[in-house]
Amino acid sequence: MSPWDGVKIAVLLFVAAVAQVSDFSQINVFGAAPDLLLVTLVAISLLRGSVAGAVGGFFAGLIVDIASLGTLGLTSLVLTLAGFWIGRYGETTGRDRGHAPYLSIAVVTVLFEVGLLVVHFVLGESAPGGALFSSLAPAVALNLVVTGPVYWLVRRLLRPQALGDLSAEVQLLG
Amino acid sequence: MLVSLTLLTISFRSPTSGALHDIQGVGSTVLRPFQIAASRVARPFRDAYDYFDGLANAKSENAKLRKELAWYQSHLLLSVEHARQEKALSNLLHYIEGPKFPNGYRAVTARVISASSSPFSRSLVITAGSSAGIRLDAPVVSGNGLVGIVSNLYPDTAVVTLLSDAQTVVPARDVETNARGVVHPSGAGGLILDQVAKQLSVRAGDQIVTLGTIDPRYPDLYPSDIPIGRVTYAHATDTSSFLQVELQPYANLNSLQAVSVLVATKKHHK
Repeated sequence: MSPWDGVKIAVLLFVAAVAQVSDFSQINVFGAAPDLLLVTLVAISLLRGSVAGAVGGFFAGLIVDIASLGTLGLTSLVLTLAGFWIGRYGETTGRDRGHAPYLSIAVVTVLFEVGLLVVHFVLGESAPGGALFSSLAPAVALNLVVTGPVYWLVRRLLRPQALGDLSAEVQLLG
Repeated sequence: MLVSLTLLTISFRSPTSGALHDIQGVGSTVLRPFQIAASRVARPFRDAYDYFDGLANAKSENAKLRKELAWYQSHLLLSVEHARQEKALSNLLHYIEGPKFPNGYRAVTARVISASSSPFSRSLVITAGSSAGIRLDAPVVSGNGLVGIVSNLYPDTAVVTLLSDAQTVVPARDVETNARGVVHPSGAGGLILDQVAKQLSVRAGDQIVTLGTIDPRYPDLYPSDIPIGRVTYAHATDTSSFLQVELQPYANLNSLQAVSVLVATKKHHK
């Protein structure tokens, strides 16, 4: 990954994090809001791999925690895991698959929300499972709606890497 | 991950003080111009949505408002007469009033720069903090009614935990029947007036306001008589000891642009 790519990723995630905290989090459709930051992070992770995903997830989460004056480290922890995991998927089986962004978003949205629920529960904070699961389907649907344009934009800014730049642990034969 | 866990541990152990809290406050101040810029960029889209949403609901809202106006007009003269009588009787009884909204409070109005509406936390971040005289646990209102309470404080910003947050509990009463209970969010995302004995009367359309301090030994965080909402559903069942009462909050908790924090102008009795 070139330094110029790093700058582009940093700007993308910063803008997405600020927009998420300031605007997108106030949208309420059936108790859910689209997560622009998560979708942007997934797109970056798919195109630039697990290290970019994990590092980007950590700093983007930190911006969210600072801007929303929430518990520091909470969002970073969950986004770091999400970025790394989707990055690994992108480096291996998910690359060049048209459905990869949509599948990743659907799965990661569920895991992200459940992950937050677990962390809140472990910390002894309010962890309303009922409210979370009732808003899960709208949250997945809203994130899938924004996936198309966000992935298109991120793909234009970060061109897919050559095969040699990707992890060689799993090679597709087809 | 280790850094995240370390930050999480330190932040969780001292959520309202400490070096990390101060750093977070500074970080929030640095990010504030970007948040305001993002809000301004999104403002035309939000206004356009609100405009079309308002148009769609204008007809039914107009009919509702006409009905309400007729009701208020019919009660105005009665209320004026009651107020005159209450003043005269209070003077006769040498009645000492407790802290009551809005007397004894000044309002610090601040812009909302971010909002969290996740199932875990319903809160706002506002552009005023301890430097504006705001204190922890100060009640927060909008033009329409109670919004929540200040739950975390920084020099230039504050976190407001909303009425709809799972951890919020507000002692309240029915203005019409004086039935007392506590307002908290329901599992479905609305508000309920809980712990109202089945023998008491609460009807759909009744107004619910904050109860305030009853016993000075146990002061309430909220002054009395701040409007909270209107009862939309009230029902008694054979299996429950309490009434099932659902509320529609007066404040639109999902689209607040600005709020007022109530700061006590003098120390009330504790």
